[in-house]
Amino acid sequence: MKLTEFMTTKIEYVDSDATVYDVVEKMVDRRIRSLVVRDPKEKGGHGVITARDVVFKVLAKGIDPGRMKAEELASKPLFCIDKGASLADALQMMEQQNIARIFVCQEGYIAGVVSMMDIMWAVLILRARGEDVSR
Amino acid sequence: MSLGKFFSRDRKEKRVTERMGAHIDLLCEACAAFHQCLIHEDRRLARQVPQMERDADVIRREIVTTIYDGAFLPYLRPDLCRFVSLVDEVFDLLQETANIFLYLQLPELLKGECTRVAFLNLRMCELLRITYEEMLAGAELREKKLGLRIYEKKIDDIKFGLIRDMMTIQIDNFWQGRLLGEFIDNLTGISDRIEDASDHLDVLSVSMR
Repeated sequence: MKLTEFMTTKIEYVDSDATVYDVVEKMVDRRIRSLVVRDPKEKGGHGVITARDVVFKVLAKGIDPGRMKAEELASKPLFCIDKGASLADALQMMEQQNIARIFVCQEGYIAGVVSMMDIMWAVLILRARGEDVSR
Repeated sequence: MSLGKFFSRDRKEKRVTERMGAHIDLLCEACAAFHQCLIHEDRRLARQVPQMERDADVIRREIVTTIYDGAFLPYLRPDLCRFVSLVDEVFDLLQETANIFLYLQLPELLKGECTRVAFLNLRMCELLRITYEEMLAGAELREKKLGLRIYEKKIDDIKFGLIRDMMTIQIDNFWQGRLLGEFIDNLTGISDRIEDASDHLDVLSVSMR
């Protein structure tokens, strides 16, 4: 199964000078758990903020999300995998890097994102279709 | 007990189950044509869908007639017919979607996600076909049904984004707006109907026990 079959293609972005509160607002509105922080000055210098980052690094520490910039919280660089990669390749990379989502990239742009949940769904679908899960 | 045991003694039962399989195969073919139609923006492919729907109608009538001509035990017949009409409902909705597409200028912003939904619809049909075969063999359908629910959930998520994007599009013509809304509604509703059909396979499977 190709990554493109089960990746999420709708990527949400915020600019690096947005506040963490803007990020949270977007996460709530769009019902998403992560978004990409775009740096207009640095080409390809994207970062990612997850709900986990917001909770543990900002809210739990009593930091005001309205006073913190997205770029301060974003993890960089993004972990990217080629569009033609397989489910097994993505799984291996996620395990090695200990990350919960991986970006599917092609010629410098982000084509989609694959999360743990997407991987779980893909494996369950492969099982349902009677296809080989290990490939 | 598998459905196979019911029809092994009679050719009518075998004929019905084969035609039911062909009915789902045709649905997969129609979904594939519509998916290709969205990829290539080839409206000729959209025109093939109503023809396939008519062919499917012929198969449905043939199945129902054979069933009430004495195939299967009477208590099984209504459920078998119900499954066939649920598959037919998927066809109807797909046909309606294809017909709307003929008159619609699909905005660039929505094209990618609409094509993705059409692809997932096709994948769901293929899984429905597998589930049907498993039901005939008397196998457990739990994993197949979960797979179908996952696809349905994916499409639901995409629908949420499509509606959000749709609201940002400037609509100058009432009919274009209405057709676009109906198109998105129908396209994303196909998966619900496929799920209904798969749920009914479960009912059939339980009836066999």
